[in-house]
Amino acid sequence: MGIIRRTWIRLAGAWAWRRPNGPVRLMAAFSQAERGSSYDVIAALERTERRDLRRTYLFHALDESRHARIFRRRVQALGRQDRAEAALVDAGSLRATGIIGEAPLFEQMGELEFLAFVYVVESLALEQFQVYCDHGMPDPDTIAALRAIADDEKFHISYSRRELEKYRAAGRGAEVRAALFRVRARRIWQAWLRLSRRLGDAVSTLWLWALYLVCVAPFRPLARVEGGGWRTRDADPRPIAEFARAQA
Amino acid sequence: MAAVLGISALYHDAAAALIVDGEVVAAIQEERFTRIKHDPSLPVRATRWCLAQAGIGPDDLDHVVFYEKPLRKFERILHHTVAAFPRGIRGFPRTMRVWLGDKLWTRTLLARELRIPADRILFSEHHLSHAASALLCSPHRDAAVLTIDGVGEHATTALWRGSAAAPFIEPVAEIPFPHSLGLFYSAMTAYLGFAVNEGEYKVMGMAAYGQPRYRDRIDRLLRRDGRGGYELDLDYFCFHWHPDRSYTDKLVDLLGPPRFPGTPFVPEGVDPDAPADLVADSQRYADIAASVQAALEDAVVDLARYARQRIDAPALCLAGGVALNSVANHRLAGEGIFDHLWIQPAAGDAGGALGAALWAWHCVLGHDRGPGLVRYDLGRDFDRPGTAELLGDLQLPFEDVLEDASESGLAERVAEDLAEGRVIGWFDGRCEYGPRALGHRSILADPRSAAMKDRVNARIKYRERFRPFAPSILDAQLDEWVELAPAARDPARYMLATPTVRADRRQQAAAVVHVDGSSRVQAVRAEDHPRYHAVISAFAARTGVPMVLNTSFNLKGDPMVSSPAQAVATFLGTDLDALYVDGFRVGRSKR
Repeated sequence: MGIIRRTWIRLAGAWAWRRPNGPVRLMAAFSQAERGSSYDVIAALERTERRDLRRTYLFHALDESRHARIFRRRVQALGRQDRAEAALVDAGSLRATGIIGEAPLFEQMGELEFLAFVYVVESLALEQFQVYCDHGMPDPDTIAALRAIADDEKFHISYSRRELEKYRAAGRGAEVRAALFRVRARRIWQAWLRLSRRLGDAVSTLWLWALYLVCVAPFRPLARVEGGGWRTRDADPRPIAEFARAQA
Repeated sequence: MAAVLGISALYHDAAAALIVDGEVVAAIQEERFTRIKHDPSLPVRATRWCLAQAGIGPDDLDHVVFYEKPLRKFERILHHTVAAFPRGIRGFPRTMRVWLGDKLWTRTLLARELRIPADRILFSEHHLSHAASALLCSPHRDAAVLTIDGVGEHATTALWRGSAAAPFIEPVAEIPFPHSLGLFYSAMTAYLGFAVNEGEYKVMGMAAYGQPRYRDRIDRLLRRDGRGGYELDLDYFCFHWHPDRSYTDKLVDLLGPPRFPGTPFVPEGVDPDAPADLVADSQRYADIAASVQAALEDAVVDLARYARQRIDAPALCLAGGVALNSVANHRLAGEGIFDHLWIQPAAGDAGGALGAALWAWHCVLGHDRGPGLVRYDLGRDFDRPGTAELLGDLQLPFEDVLEDASESGLAERVAEDLAEGRVIGWFDGRCEYGPRALGHRSILADPRSAAMKDRVNARIKYRERFRPFAPSILDAQLDEWVELAPAARDPARYMLATPTVRADRRQQAAAVVHVDGSSRVQAVRAEDHPRYHAVISAFAARTGVPMVLNTSFNLKGDPMVSSPAQAVATFLGTDLDALYVDGFRVGRSKR
């Protein structure tokens, strides 16, 4: 499984790093992901009933926030391209990519599953960074940044593994296994959703283009853009209650 | 009991505001919960918090009021998509997906997510919500109300007549899309290398480094019609049909290449070692920014003169995103067109939630006007025992200054920290409604040294070196320090006016005086914020300078901190020297 995964990371990475503007887009995506993680870990800190974990969560959140800044600096060093920069501050993409969801992960998952999530995701990130570095895909400065970040990821993996072991030792091994399964399954499901969303967008774009050309074109002569300047406006003739209920 | 909830959402700066029995009991942006700056999503968490704050549930709401009319907006978008044929084909799929996916079903969405019957949902108008947020929060009864922003349903600028009796607000005139001062400024923000809806403040700051040498060219883009209105030359703009760009190549031909985001900005006289071509480029962009700012100010003054012609009232209430341009506000106040200027602190789209709720309360339900907005700290707060427990769990060194030394002792301790050059995070009580930190979620520092500005920019906020900081100054001593236009006294309470600092005072507050001698002041009154007023008073007693440097408590790209945990994380992630959370002084600990 490990070999297959590493091969997949290598192949996908080769494409991701070499595509046009690839390094900048990757760094921007990583920066966003780290920002989102930071928010989620702070939310966990605020909501956890395990008071002994709060300090650990705090330092985890600080790591994520620092990583976001490191990746952001790489974006600026590598590209300065306006779209990548805009992606960093684009609230819509944080939502659309699922980095920040409707509710913090901790609220959706609870303590045990959140720890399982940290363990799985950080392990995958560490492996991903190692493959990138081992195969020299990024530039030397980015490799140095990834190696520094990988050291922090080891801390996140070790504390989450330690906590999961505690649950196992307390006789909750089945819950831990189930949580790890759910986390992995959810990642696959979310990857499928992202892919299907892209496919859906592509198909709908074609249909909507056709609609635009066929249905919109005939009305073009009727539509004109108004000039500027003040226009006197009268009050809406409808009774106020009716006006208030109308969406138009 | 009667309760009305206002909602602004699905564009940018989503927010919820709750009125119970005529009193605004809670108002907050969704970004304070989700941590997504300018979060446009339906403010479910903000709504839940507002209801919890009032101790009521969704069933107790008489009405939920959405801040605009979605179908009318959709009609405008369709109209311009057709008018832009065939160029509009690029943006058509994305627009349709957004509208068919969510926005067309706003009533259903609100009913489902907020768990209220659909027949209790009302719809204001975008500019009407802005107008209500300005007029009905103000102390003025008879007033002209100007709302200026990007675009609402069809209008981009609107004039309203405010009166003491029902219907309180009546439409007078409007300027239609795509002729928009807000979108003009946003397009130029993008041209100058900043993010739209985020970097407009930076353009305002950049303008101070330049001279309006490009004014004749900018006047080709934004034409004032001599009758109080304006018009854009649409050959230079494409925001009305392009999904990603807001200006055309013709604008690039006119003004030269746009500025790449992230390019260092080093205008003349700032850094003698900077490369000459970088200095020349920076100066060109500064001059363009100055020209854009001057053109905007002139257009706003024209609008106000038109308002005064149409409405004989001593006060002007201003709202919409353009009303956050504090330089233009002070210029307007100084023109003497109106005796009073009132701007509500959340003048942008977040304020639409409050406006929608107030409009429904007064104009639809027929309740009389109240005293206006009496406080701007309408957001979340946290109990001190919970904060003490959190700090203990985090094993951070902290002391309860409020418990040990009382209110005056707390003020003295903060003043001591500031006077000794420490930069502190200041988290106090309920958070502010709107984009400005007004002493509840602030980073505070000593304003006396210019080096402090560089330190806070570079090592704490991680932002561009050229950006200025604002001071919070004791209201009673405001006139000794700045040349404030009389009509700008109210806007100055909310950091919405930028007067000139008196020449003989500039050296004493070098960190908060911009390169052109201006400063975006917040005039602090004891009745608005007694604890913050006491801190500044204590600092003044120690130093003779009745102000502190005040900037929002966040990092670049983040919303302001909302909770103690977020404050702690921001504190430890920066070079801040100390953190005060509701009277606790927090220090650092080793990992």
